[in-house]
Amino acid sequence: MATKTSPSQLPHDTTSGRPAWTTPLFAFLAAVVLLVVATQLLGRGNEKDLASFSQANATVGSLIPLLVAAVVAWLVPQGHGWRTRAPLAFIAGLFALFIANMWPSAAAVATEGAADAQPEEMPTLLSWLIGLPLAGSIAILFMPRQAPRLLKATTLLVMLATLAASIPLLRVDMGRTFHFNQDVVWIERFGIHYHVAIDGISLWLVILTVFITPIAAYVSFGSIHTRIKDWCFALLLLEAGMIGAFVALDLFLFYVFWEVMLIPMYVMIGVWGGTNRIKAALKFFLYTMAGSLLMLAAILYLAYTYSRVTGGTATFDFFELQRLQFPRHLQIWLWFAFAISFFIKVPMWPVHTWLPDAHTEAPTAGSIILAAVLLKMGTYGYLRFCMGLFPEVSAEFAATLGGVAVLGGILYGALCAWRQDDVKRLVAYSSVAHLGYVMLGIFAATRGSIEGAILQMINHGVTTGALFLLVGVIYDRRHTRMLDDFGGLAKVMPVYTALFIISTMASIGVPGLNGFVGEFLIITGTYASDKLGHVNGIQAVGAALGVILAALYMLTAVQKMFFGPITRDENKRLSDINAREMIAVAPLVIAMFVLGLAPNLLVNQMHGAVERILVDYETRGKLPGGGTKFYEGPIRLGIRRPDTPPPVGPSPEPTPGGLSFGNEGSRPAGGGAHDGHGH
Amino acid sequence: MMALAFVLSPLLILALGALLLMLAEALTPKQNRAAGLALGATIVFVAGFAFSVGAWLYGVEDVAERELLAPWLVIDRFTIFFDGLFCLGGALAALLAGGYLREHGLERGEFYGLLIFSTIGGMMVAAAGDALMVFIGLETMSIGAYALTAFRRTSPRSAEGALKYFLLGSFAAAILLYGFALLYGATGHTDLVGIGNAIRAGGQHQTMILVALVLVLVGLVFKVSAVPFHMWAPDAYEGAPTPATTYMAAVVKCGAFAMLLRVLLTCFSDQGLMSWAAGWPPVLAWIAVLTMTVANLIAGQQESVKRMLAYSSIAHAGYLLVGVVATIHSMGTATASVLFYLLTYTVSTAGAFGALILCGRKGAEAVSYEDLAGIGRRHPAAALAFSLFLVSLAGIPPTAGFFGKWFIFRAAIDAGFYALTIIAFFNSVIAAYYYLRVLVFMYMREPAAGAPIATPMRSGYVATALVVSAILVIALGVVPSLPLDVAVEASEKTFAAPGG
Repeated sequence: MATKTSPSQLPHDTTSGRPAWTTPLFAFLAAVVLLVVATQLLGRGNEKDLASFSQANATVGSLIPLLVAAVVAWLVPQGHGWRTRAPLAFIAGLFALFIANMWPSAAAVATEGAADAQPEEMPTLLSWLIGLPLAGSIAILFMPRQAPRLLKATTLLVMLATLAASIPLLRVDMGRTFHFNQDVVWIERFGIHYHVAIDGISLWLVILTVFITPIAAYVSFGSIHTRIKDWCFALLLLEAGMIGAFVALDLFLFYVFWEVMLIPMYVMIGVWGGTNRIKAALKFFLYTMAGSLLMLAAILYLAYTYSRVTGGTATFDFFELQRLQFPRHLQIWLWFAFAISFFIKVPMWPVHTWLPDAHTEAPTAGSIILAAVLLKMGTYGYLRFCMGLFPEVSAEFAATLGGVAVLGGILYGALCAWRQDDVKRLVAYSSVAHLGYVMLGIFAATRGSIEGAILQMINHGVTTGALFLLVGVIYDRRHTRMLDDFGGLAKVMPVYTALFIISTMASIGVPGLNGFVGEFLIITGTYASDKLGHVNGIQAVGAALGVILAALYMLTAVQKMFFGPITRDENKRLSDINAREMIAVAPLVIAMFVLGLAPNLLVNQMHGAVERILVDYETRGKLPGGGTKFYEGPIRLGIRRPDTPPPVGPSPEPTPGGLSFGNEGSRPAGGGAHDGHGH
Repeated sequence: MMALAFVLSPLLILALGALLLMLAEALTPKQNRAAGLALGATIVFVAGFAFSVGAWLYGVEDVAERELLAPWLVIDRFTIFFDGLFCLGGALAALLAGGYLREHGLERGEFYGLLIFSTIGGMMVAAAGDALMVFIGLETMSIGAYALTAFRRTSPRSAEGALKYFLLGSFAAAILLYGFALLYGATGHTDLVGIGNAIRAGGQHQTMILVALVLVLVGLVFKVSAVPFHMWAPDAYEGAPTPATTYMAAVVKCGAFAMLLRVLLTCFSDQGLMSWAAGWPPVLAWIAVLTMTVANLIAGQQESVKRMLAYSSIAHAGYLLVGVVATIHSMGTATASVLFYLLTYTVSTAGAFGALILCGRKGAEAVSYEDLAGIGRRHPAAALAFSLFLVSLAGIPPTAGFFGKWFIFRAAIDAGFYALTIIAFFNSVIAAYYYLRVLVFMYMREPAAGAPIATPMRSGYVATALVVSAILVIALGVVPSLPLDVAVEASEKTFAAPGG
């Protein structure tokens, strides 16, 4: 599959006059692909004969990263010294280590090796992941402003340490439960706990965060030259907030992290942004703040109701609050308060208008983090909290919202992107379209579509991160992002062109690259969904149409930028991508291939968590009766939920505002079939 | 007797300290007065705070002798909590004054004497169990505050603000007194508990009691500077020297809320008067909505940062009134939420005014937003401190202000006031806008060429005040358990019986 994209670049390699750069690049990518295959073969071998090979595999497993690092260092072309080679080799080695660790059989081998036990989970690991960047940001405050190199080095080191610390997460077979569970009382009077844990869904988002942030930081050090101290502080604080929000299971804690992310991003856009930065930053802030305060009100109401029902016990624990069931009219309000704050973050039409402004004005690193991670807060939040806490109403509105996601997100976003003159704005609108797919997959709520949605969250992070990074590269050289100012860049910047086209292809969803798998899963899932009423077919078609539009707007932009004659004199002297940018973008491009060729790496870990979410969703969504009462599901942590939903009697007296589901009658009685056709 | 002296010690210590300070001021040669007095006043306040903590730990429930003072001064946990809070606010104001007055050539010893005696008035108000005592305490507190407002004698704005404050304040005090007089006429009592019992018992003077209630409410609400009785506040706050503003925004406002809670919950805790249908709660709820909305909208329009902070202080009174209204359903929790909010508000607002003081030296004060442009780059420490306090005032976690708001909103939701809570939420968003504007100017704008810019002053006093406030703001935001327990204990042990 990897070779499929290369013919289109080969002519430019030969015309560039500097083929020395590109050949090793492809050799490098090929090596990675080979490595993937090799690891898979090794893994297979182990499954057959675990006892004898596990020891050998452990040795080989530890050698592979070193081997890859050496090969990459050797492959880097002649003109570059150790300062380029070493980081590239390091990144490649780390990458290999990641893959070796997250390979499904790797976890199995580790399990077998440790006498049939799950590898020991360090309960404080997640706190370390949050604490490292937080401590780093505080340490930055006490460092001299006059020593930018020290500040930058500290920031990168802390981020890489966080990345390294996240590796043990991959060694655990996630299954259906939560892992690395840490639950400490924080404020006893309100029942607020510091409760963090991770499952197969948040795992990948955390990995994405710790993976993208160092890249964003590294690339930013090339273009940000003012107020380095504040910049490093904001980056580290943001990383801590993002990781915290993905692993928090106490609603209060989640809210705190959610708000902690806000200020650094606001400052990033407002201080280091473009000409209209202040307006964009304020818009970003006020939109998010308005949504999050509504969410806070709903959280308060949930906790209050819980304490009223249980007779005084206050809690903000997600699993405890999940047991509450509200009458429909109340649930709509609560659902709305949560959903609107997530929709703003996603962003869904019509509350998406802050996004293009924020992206256009934000500095490159800000855009990368915003697109890659912050937007996922919305989709993750909807999946975890809206569907977890209010499944009835979520199911009821799924069809309508699916329509909004298709029309307002996928199609409208794509059409807007098509009309943009500014490359960065184009990529921003393409984000609206891509996030539309994610939301559609979540609304469709079949196993395939949700897994596709989660995969697409990661894919979008990697792809759009790379695109923003590459747009930043050209902006640093030309200080313009207008499509009309470019043209024929393929002749002067061949490597850059190759990378940009690979990222574009990934964004469009060309098979073999990462975008394809997610979109495919989402579209098939939508077609098979029974949650979208009678319109799921139309929505699937709409979503498929979006793929064509994506090709249209992305390829138009590529065509205008890279091909045709060079119309501007300034463009004739542009230098190709430099070592720093290469080092930053290489892991993203590698990730595109890896995720495209071996999506099972991620999906295997998700199965359990997605299944758990769907069982919750189905069980609650079908429950008759209403009223604020418990349903006695064994929801406590650590206990595995039985596959069959617990028997729940209908409430003694159905309240006037009872539950009614628009699409319940049209469903087959079996109901639980996730992949069957709805009607 | 010793036990009584001990639980009364915060007040006594302050009185003694103020007398000693005045003596010291009179006896020291003029050129040496400068440095010592601020330090002395701070020490007096810190001692008062320490004795409050001591009295709290000692416990007031078992002190039989406190009956000697009842019903004029009621010494309970509520009183002790406010004693500590006033001393904290007073200490911060004294520290700020130590830097500010010297920088601006206003250094005269009366400031500290007025500060301490006015604080004693606040303590009397918080402890007052009798209508007359409420009035005496209120006047003691207010007259000090009037004088502090007018302290910059050469400035017309200062005089204007003080005169407005004085005239309207006396008028409101007269209305309050009139209300008390009617209450006395209707019930035959001047002690608050007696009035409350008489009202609960019922009688033929219902109309008179209602009229009295309106008058008392007006008087009380004037003191907390709620809309539409807020007209004096922006001018007085802006005209006063900034440490005096800090004092008014922190201590005087806390005193007014102590009085409001004590009078409403003791006198008017009758079932009928506390009901939503015929009592003070709906009136107060409307005032809260008006206060929040109007103050926030006007604050967004201001060009002067100090005036913006003045309006923000009015808006915070609105949030606090939401908590006061919530007392009708859950007296203990809601009162505790008001107390805790007052604590977080005191440290945040004192810090914000302190940061404003630190940002400007004589001749280059930070007045308008433009003055602050680019200060984040020129003087990062001052800007960082200012940002922290503004973030806390805006109520963004993990700072003190967030937990204050959280507790208030939680109490309001517990009491079932959803609409009120949502309005308060939206007001928080509006408020975030103008707090952030300061951040925008400090970090994202550069001053126009030739425009006047603020240059920070150097003062150990101000720096100390800021460091203390900053530590408290972060500590209250991260580990609020202990102060929360204290606030809950203070209110639950005092106002135990809900609904009368």
